[in-house]
Amino acid sequence: MIGVGKIKQYTNVLVKPLNKGKQEVSLSAFSFLFSELVQYNQTQVDNITELERRLEDAGYAVGARVLELLCHREKMAMLPHVLKDAVADSLEKGTEHEDEYMISEKELLVNRFISIPKDKGTFNCGAFVAGIVRGVLDSAGFPAVVSAHFVPVEGQQRPRTTILIKFAEEVIFKKCIVGVSFFSSNILRNLPVILSFV
Amino acid sequence: MAPVAPRSGDAIFASVERVNSELFTLTYGAIVRQLLTDLEEVDEVNKQLDQMGYNIGVRLVDEFLAKSNVSRCVDFKETTEVIAKVGFKMFLGVTASVTNWDADGTSCSLILEDNPLVDFVELPDTCQGLYYCNIISGVIRGALEMVSMKTEVSWIRDMLRGDDVFELQVKLIKQVPEEYPYKDDE
Amino acid sequence: MPNKALGQNGYYLPFVSPLNSATASQIHNSFRSVNQCKNPSPFDSSKRMAAIYSLYIINKSGGLIFYKDYGSAGRMDTNDSLRLASLWHSMHAISQQLSPVHGCSGIELLEADTFDLHCFQSLTGTKFFVVSEPGTQHMDGLLKQIYELYTDYVLKNPFYEMEMPIRCELFDINLAQAVLKDRVALLGR
Repeated sequence: MIGVGKIKQYTNVLVKPLNKGKQEVSLSAFSFLFSELVQYNQTQVDNITELERRLEDAGYAVGARVLELLCHREKMAMLPHVLKDAVADSLEKGTEHEDEYMISEKELLVNRFISIPKDKGTFNCGAFVAGIVRGVLDSAGFPAVVSAHFVPVEGQQRPRTTILIKFAEEVIFKKCIVGVSFFSSNILRNLPVILSFV
Repeated sequence: MAPVAPRSGDAIFASVERVNSELFTLTYGAIVRQLLTDLEEVDEVNKQLDQMGYNIGVRLVDEFLAKSNVSRCVDFKETTEVIAKVGFKMFLGVTASVTNWDADGTSCSLILEDNPLVDFVELPDTCQGLYYCNIISGVIRGALEMVSMKTEVSWIRDMLRGDDVFELQVKLIKQVPEEYPYKDDE
Repeated sequence: MPNKALGQNGYYLPFVSPLNSATASQIHNSFRSVNQCKNPSPFDSSKRMAAIYSLYIINKSGGLIFYKDYGSAGRMDTNDSLRLASLWHSMHAISQQLSPVHGCSGIELLEADTFDLHCFQSLTGTKFFVVSEPGTQHMDGLLKQIYELYTDYVLKNPFYEMEMPIRCELFDINLAQAVLKDRVALLGR
């Protein structure tokens, strides 16, 4: 993670995991780590907007690397097989705006054990996931504003989380000219899969 | 309550929900990166990582106890074995070995050959003093403190610094007797 | 739940008086049975509908961090539940000191005429206990399950501060489900 830009690290990244095959850690280990990430960042901020921004930044660092790992290992196409976890419920195109996409998740992995206290309002730890999505898209050349929102579901006790992707104008422009490139559609199609391990 | 047999690390790890270790590794990397930005000094980052590990340890120990069914360990030796074989396995999917006991049985080394925290990591020149995995030593210290053992945990060998394995020294400082809620003079 | 569940008197008495009515021998039994299987209950649970009256979680310094009652039986106001928590904390500690069994981990079961109190203490010192109808079985399993829910929905919640009162929506939801399932299972047995 540190010194990502150095070329010698790429070789390291490329060789090692391939030899090791698929690795897993317990969800608990991740959840405790994520919980501590949120707790640490709480000590660094005055309000929840800032907290969300910092979580998103942390997610961004992860997302940028996710794509790097996937592309370098040419695993993009294999992703669905590699990541067995449940696929995000859906990736929908916003109906109102041409440049908006939405990913809906019944329950984000990061939110599995987290109850938001009443005084935190609409705060959503999914900001971290939004950051990952932004990191993935950005490093693929599709800058976007990505945010996480709770959306109430009728008949359900708990709201679901929607990740809203709003592409920058230049992306729309690009799309108009060359159409949706294979790469962008591939990334968008795979986003729910990338998310499924988040 | 009839005592339930303790479960092996493998059995627990096979039964719990798991996630792709890359997500875990990259998230940890993002944390370290954030600390380096926030704190600037490598020493401060080491301290903070240890503190964060400690915070995790005091929480995580209950999950460890609940899932593993281990009862109170008879001595420090058994405790370290359980950490190496069950604790590491059930959370990180790897096991450690215990060696280098001192004569009075209060200090030993945990050897870790495989460590999911450091996949894809190489320390740049500016971070040479960084104990990248310091969170792990904090976790062990925090978890043991919750079951009445004060310890010092430090890194002896570190693969990111060119050693062949990770070696953690765990030193028992004192075993706090179980707290009795009322003192005589109260 | 039919009224039968509330016991012969029709309602469950506040804790303090039934505590007094717990006989010395029953308490003694509880002491003896701390580390091993509890004595068979004098009640045949299969003929009765068993019910949990309330659940308490006490932190390691004896502070009540969670209280929930189920149904009208044995409902207590905040002061009483706090008092009961600290009382139980002390009694539990004293039982450890008084027990003739070496390494005794404290009372696991207190049987009284109108209720049973099942207690589980984790090695980290947090106590979980349920007050239930006399003769209710399998409470150790339920307590263990509640302990696991606590490790998931309380300890992994970044907004929960250690040793403080538990206010976690997900814990409440999952706890309610566990208790409900337990009741259904009891009805089925």
